[in-house]
Amino acid sequence: MNATGSAAPTSRRSMLKTLLQGLGLGLVMPNLHRSANAGNESAGTRETASLTVRVTHPLDAETPVREFTSFLTPTSRFFVRSHFGPPPPEAISQANWRLRVGGLVEQSREFTLKDLRHMESVTITAVVQCSGNGRAHHRPKVPGVQWDRGAVGNAQWTGVRLHDVLGQAGIKEQAHHVQFLGADRPVVDSVPLFVRSIPLNKALHPDTILAYEMNGRPLPLLHGAPLRVITPGWMADSCTKWLTDITVQTEEAKGYYMQTAYRVPTRPVEPGTSSSGPSTPVEKMIVKSLVAAPQEGETVKAGSITIQGVAWSGEAKVVKVEVSIDEGKTWEPARLVGEDQPYAWRQWQLIWNAKTAGTFPILCRATDERGDVQPATSPWNPSGFLWNGWDRVTVTVTEA
Amino acid sequence: MNRQASGIRRGGAVLFMISALLGLAVITSAEEENLATVSVSLAPRAEGLILARCSVCHSADLIVQQRLPLVRWEATVEKMRHWGAEISKDEAELLVRYLSARYHPGAPDRVPPLNHEIGKTEPLTQEPAAGGRMVGVAARGADIFAHNCQACHGTGAMGGMGPKLAKNPILTQEDLFWETVLHGRGPMPAWGSVLNQQEIADIHAWLLSQ
Repeated sequence: MNATGSAAPTSRRSMLKTLLQGLGLGLVMPNLHRSANAGNESAGTRETASLTVRVTHPLDAETPVREFTSFLTPTSRFFVRSHFGPPPPEAISQANWRLRVGGLVEQSREFTLKDLRHMESVTITAVVQCSGNGRAHHRPKVPGVQWDRGAVGNAQWTGVRLHDVLGQAGIKEQAHHVQFLGADRPVVDSVPLFVRSIPLNKALHPDTILAYEMNGRPLPLLHGAPLRVITPGWMADSCTKWLTDITVQTEEAKGYYMQTAYRVPTRPVEPGTSSSGPSTPVEKMIVKSLVAAPQEGETVKAGSITIQGVAWSGEAKVVKVEVSIDEGKTWEPARLVGEDQPYAWRQWQLIWNAKTAGTFPILCRATDERGDVQPATSPWNPSGFLWNGWDRVTVTVTEA
Repeated sequence: MNRQASGIRRGGAVLFMISALLGLAVITSAEEENLATVSVSLAPRAEGLILARCSVCHSADLIVQQRLPLVRWEATVEKMRHWGAEISKDEAELLVRYLSARYHPGAPDRVPPLNHEIGKTEPLTQEPAAGGRMVGVAARGADIFAHNCQACHGTGAMGGMGPKLAKNPILTQEDLFWETVLHGRGPMPAWGSVLNQQEIADIHAWLLSQ
């Protein structure tokens, strides 16, 4: 893993650059090169051709919401999040990379990517969403990457069932949790590794997969190459990228990212206070919708205006999306359109007959089959997870 | 100048105590002015620290987008120390004062970027003197390396996230070595505002002995 000689980081960087260019992310790279130069950092964010960069290094970048007018989010425009950035290419090269399965199993196993590709493959379209998506909307503000609305996307994931992989190793009776570790490493050894676990029943669910393809192409480096976990309907903190180690165990994973981070209080807490009470890991997605068009700040001519967007609710089906242009006093149901698949988001549309000129807020809220409705604002929590308040864009209507 | 500085320090200490006692997140406009002064007076050292200690692991844009009350800045800096950020107690205190003065909940969405003046003044004070380079002392360099460089370049300069420097050819290309340390290269931050010329020479001398 250690680079030897001064040439190594350059070649690693140029390799990363090549990979990124392949993703249409080339424009992000000049910033990456300057990443550590704090003197050149600006407080604002940078819009690139495809993504809005929140943190340059390690790269955290979100998708501009206008991209969500399409059912599948293109890979090159899919949000990027990790704690330490991608592992060095040699750690995940075909020659070196292995998936190890151990812990409470009958027989520890090791898989190459080829082994996995020989197993029965499954393709699932699913929303992947960062637990902190919308964190910037919590008041009082909370620490963490200040994600706005676009740390989410809907993609087609192809891989093998985790159930089948675990089946080859054989699960022992005392097993209750399945732990994941990726090949990514912090700069400093004293920083805790990103170790996570999910309960056995979610791990054995036939829709939980280890994906090696995204939107029909091999998983790109930034999205977890060569293999990542996809837990459809659950937040992305369970979707470990660059997966190398699966450990079957009795207890939930130990360590910072399971026991401290990615948790929400089980009881409501006073906004602005720190949490010390009981908490639970962030798991299931909750009902949420976004306005993808018109865009925030857009000017449109009076007349028929198509308002469109997406709505999702994790493991549940979205049954209703409503739109308001009077700050939530009255709501009009939108039409659900396009593909209807479990775990994917649902597109929706509403034709708004804008008669008068002026500035209007467009709000949307979704309802799922369980009757859960998107609230005006989400319950405050110290780490700002699970934001699902009504979405809002403000548009200016001019005379036709 | 000194009296003014100590006044600011007292003001900061009082504010610190009030916040700590009452957990105040609300900042009055009078206090805000005070904070602005504190922020300016601390800027050069604090920004140097951010560059040297924080951006080893993450770029400064992660910091400047936060708007947190003092108690949460304290918790954050303490977490980073616990995780291995090379920050002394004094440095941590300074960082907390600076960050909570500049990036508090009442601060506007856009705060002017971190001080560019540091970078601008750097060549004047930091370029090797015309009369030749300083003579480094290897024994001193070991400590300076451990405190500043080891996180990335590894124990004994054997490499880590950054390249192995022991016996690295760059040590014999002194111009390139100095250029890299002073101004950064690729993912490596510029160290010109953190290390003085003598310290860089000491590190160089120690690396040659490895």
